[in-house]
Amino acid sequence: MGEKFHFPEGLYADIRIEEKYTVNLMKFNGELVNDRATQECGALIRVYDGKLWYTTSTNELDRLQEELDALAELAQPNPAIYDDPAIKLLEVNREERLRYEGDKLADIARQRFMNVIDYYAGACIEDEMPGVNSWSIGAGGEYSKLSFYSSKGSEIVYDYQMCAAGVWYTLGGNGEPMNCGKQIFGAVPEELTGHEAEILAERARCVDYLANAVDVEPGEYTCVLSPITTAMFAHESFGHKSEADFMLNDKTLRDEWVLGKKVGSDLVSIVDSGDMQNHGYVPYDDEGTKARETWLIKNGVLTGRLHDSNSAAVLSEELTGNCRAQSYRKRPIVRMTNTFLQPGKDSFEDIIADTKDGIYVHMVSDGTGGATFVMNARVCYRIRDGKICEPLRVHQLTGSVFQTLFDIDRVGSDFELFDSYTCGKMNQIVRVSAGGPSIRVRKLHVN
Amino acid sequence: MTIKEKHSTRRTVSKMSYEENKPKAFERTNTVETSYRVYDGEKVGICYSIGEIADEEGFARAQADPERARPYPFTPEAGGERRRDKSESHVSDRELMDVAGEYMKYILEKYPQFTFTGNFTAETCRHSLTSDIGTDFEESDACFGAGIAFKHKDSKDIMNGYFGYNMRTLDDGSVFRTMADLYLGQYETMTEVPEEIILSIQYYSLTGALADELNAENLALGTSHLTGKVGEQVFSENFTLEHDVTDKESWFGRFWDGEGCVIPNDKLVLIENGVIKTGYSDKRVAQKYGVPHTRTAGHNYSDLPYPGGLNLRIRRSEKTIRELLAGRPAVIPMSSTGSPMDNKGNASMIIHTSLLWDGERVVGRLPEFRVNMNFFDILGKDYIGVGSDDSPFFNDKVILLKVYKV
Repeated sequence: MGEKFHFPEGLYADIRIEEKYTVNLMKFNGELVNDRATQECGALIRVYDGKLWYTTSTNELDRLQEELDALAELAQPNPAIYDDPAIKLLEVNREERLRYEGDKLADIARQRFMNVIDYYAGACIEDEMPGVNSWSIGAGGEYSKLSFYSSKGSEIVYDYQMCAAGVWYTLGGNGEPMNCGKQIFGAVPEELTGHEAEILAERARCVDYLANAVDVEPGEYTCVLSPITTAMFAHESFGHKSEADFMLNDKTLRDEWVLGKKVGSDLVSIVDSGDMQNHGYVPYDDEGTKARETWLIKNGVLTGRLHDSNSAAVLSEELTGNCRAQSYRKRPIVRMTNTFLQPGKDSFEDIIADTKDGIYVHMVSDGTGGATFVMNARVCYRIRDGKICEPLRVHQLTGSVFQTLFDIDRVGSDFELFDSYTCGKMNQIVRVSAGGPSIRVRKLHVN
Repeated sequence: MTIKEKHSTRRTVSKMSYEENKPKAFERTNTVETSYRVYDGEKVGICYSIGEIADEEGFARAQADPERARPYPFTPEAGGERRRDKSESHVSDRELMDVAGEYMKYILEKYPQFTFTGNFTAETCRHSLTSDIGTDFEESDACFGAGIAFKHKDSKDIMNGYFGYNMRTLDDGSVFRTMADLYLGQYETMTEVPEEIILSIQYYSLTGALADELNAENLALGTSHLTGKVGEQVFSENFTLEHDVTDKESWFGRFWDGEGCVIPNDKLVLIENGVIKTGYSDKRVAQKYGVPHTRTAGHNYSDLPYPGGLNLRIRRSEKTIRELLAGRPAVIPMSSTGSPMDNKGNASMIIHTSLLWDGERVVGRLPEFRVNMNFFDILGKDYIGVGSDDSPFFNDKVILLKVYKV
C-alpha cells in the first residue's frame, strides 16, 4: 500500500491508518443496557517542513493521497529536510505483525461475550446480597489494526486485541454509596472467566470496609502499598517525569533529571517496554520506531527516559519507541507504554510483620503526577505491631517525587502487571499497563 | 409500522499548538458521526457510522442485524421543525495562526521567566435530528478557544498552572492579555494561606457530581447520596440548579435530548432554593421506576439512550463576586487534584499552586496546601454563591465555596 502513496518532495510525511472494531455489552441489575459493536477506520497524515508539523485526520481512506497533497500545500518545501536532526533519527522499518488474524474480535460472535456475562451472573450474583444495592457486569473488547507508511520508506502493519470483563457492585443504602468490583483482561472472551473467587472476596472486603471504616487522622505515615497501588505509584510518582518532552527548553529540569543521578533507593528499578503483550503493547510507535525495553531507573540511578524523535534529537539521546497518539484523530506525543517497578525479595507477609505502625494501602482509584504526586485512595487499613487492623477511610496519599523514591525500604517479590490502566496527558488518553510488587515507603502524607 | 430517525453531528477543528514556547503543529480534523435508528414499537435497530455514509445504507444496516435489535418499547415523538444557530463568527485558519502568534508573542515577551505549552483552536459543530414522522431539528455553534499551561523556569515541577477560555467572537486580545497578567503578573510574590479559605472556581466538576446524584435510577436504587431526600431542603436557600438547553454560556449543546424530546420551556429545575425537586430520567427509567419522564436522555449514537446529557447551571446570585466576597480574599487554584467523594460525602483536595485575590488585585501566590470539604456543606452552610458577573480568571462564571485547611 505504501507504494500507492506519492510523498511530496522536500518534505517529510507519514500516514498512519487505524482500523478499530469494538464490542461492549453490559447488564445492569439483570437488564441488558449496553449492546454495541462499532467499527471505525481513519487516518492521520503528517507533513513536516523542518519548522512546523501539519496534520489532518480523515475517515475517507480512498482520499488519502488528495489529503496528503493538500497538506503539503500548506508547508514550505525544504530540500534539507532529511538532514533535520529529528527526521534523521527516524527509523525505517518494514514488518507485518498480525497476531490475531485467527481469532480477531471482528469475527468473534457477540454470543461469546454474552456467555462471559452470563457466567459471572451465575457465579457472582445471588438473590440475596446483603449490603449490595445494584450490580453490573460488562464484557467487551477492542481489535485494532494499525498501518504506518513514511516518506523515509517505513511500511509497518501490526494488530492488537484486548478483551475485558468487569463485575461491579454499588454498596450501601441510605444515601451512603460505595462502588467496588474487579476487571479481568485477556486476548479472547474465554480467557475472562474463572475469576469469581477473587471478585467475591473483593466484594466481601468492601462490604466489611463500608461497615467498619473509620476516618484516618491526617498526617505522615509509613505506608505499605499493594502491587496495584505500587503500579500507580510507579506511573504517577516517576513515570511522567521520564517523558522527555517536558524538559527540552528547561535548564532547571534538565539539570534535575540528568542521567546518572541518584534519584531513589538502591531497591528501586523502573522499566518501560512497549514490546510486552499487555495493555501498553506498541511494537512500533506512531513514528514507526520499534519498541524496546528502556530502564528508566536502575538500582536507584536515573538511566533513561522516554522519547519521540524530537526530544531524542534535542537531548542527543536514542529513540525509545514512545511516541503515541490516542487515535488517528490526535497528533502523537511522548507517552509511557508498559511501565513497572521491578520486584525484590521480600514477601508481603514479612513486610507487614516488619511494620510496627503504618497504613496498608490495598486499593487506589486514580492519581496525578506532578512534583507532588497524588493517589486517591479507596480501601486502606491501619497496621499496628506487624498486623493489619481496622479499615481506614482515606482520601489522598501524597508525596514528593524528589524524596519518596529514596524512602522505599522494602520491595516485595509478589510482582503483578495490571492492564486496567489508561493514562491522560494533553487531552489524550492512551492504554497503558503499570506494575510492581508490594513495597514499603517510610513516609507519605495521608489525608 | 416502523419509524426511521437520523441523528448526526458534523464537527471541524483547527488547532495551532505550541510546545515549550515554540510553534509545534497545525492540525485539522473534520468528522461526521451518524446514528441511524429504526423503531418498530418494541425494538430499535441502530447503525452507528463514523465518516460519510449514504442514508439508504445506514438505515439498511440498522435493520439488518436482528441479533442486536435492542428492546425499546417506546415510540419517538414528532418534534416539528426547529433550528438554532449560536455561532457568531468564523475564524479562518489564517486568522487562527495569526492570533496564536500574536498572543504567544505577548506572553513570551512580557513573561520570559516562564515556559508555555498550549493550543489555540477554532471549532465548529452542527447537530441535527430528522425523522420520517416530521422531526427536523438542527443546532449549530462555533467558538475560538485558548488554553495555556505554564511553568516557571526555576520550578522543578513539570507544570505550575493553566489558564484558558472559549469565546464565540474573537476580541481584540484583551481577554487573553488580562488573563495572562492575572495568572503570571504576581506569580513570583509569595503570600500566606488565609485562615478562612474561600475557593473561587468554575463549577463543572461539581455539577458533574450532582448529575450522578440526581439520576432518577440512582435515587430509586439507593445509590445516590440524595436518595430519600426528594422534596427536602438539603442545600442552601440560595442554591438553585437547573438543566437549561438554551444556555448561551455553554458550547456545542443541543435543545433536544437523546430520544428526540424537548423540555417544556427548555428548562428543568432540579433543585430550587436548596430543595430537591426531582431527579431526571429518560423513557426507560421513567417507566421502570414510575418517576416523571423529564426528557433528559443522553446522546448515545451507538447504543440505547441513558439518562444524562444535562447542561446544568447554578442560578447566579444578584450580587457580584466582590459583593459576595464582602472584603474576604478568594483562592484561585491554578493546579489542584481532588479526590472522589466517599460514602459520607467527604472529599479532599491538594492545591498545588494557587493565587490569592482580594476582589480587585492578585495579592500573590500561595504555597501548596490541602483542604477537606463535604458535599452537603459546600452547597449548604459553606455555599457563598455564583456571582452575577464573570470572573476575569476564567472569562466565565465562578462558584464561591468555603473549604477547610487540613
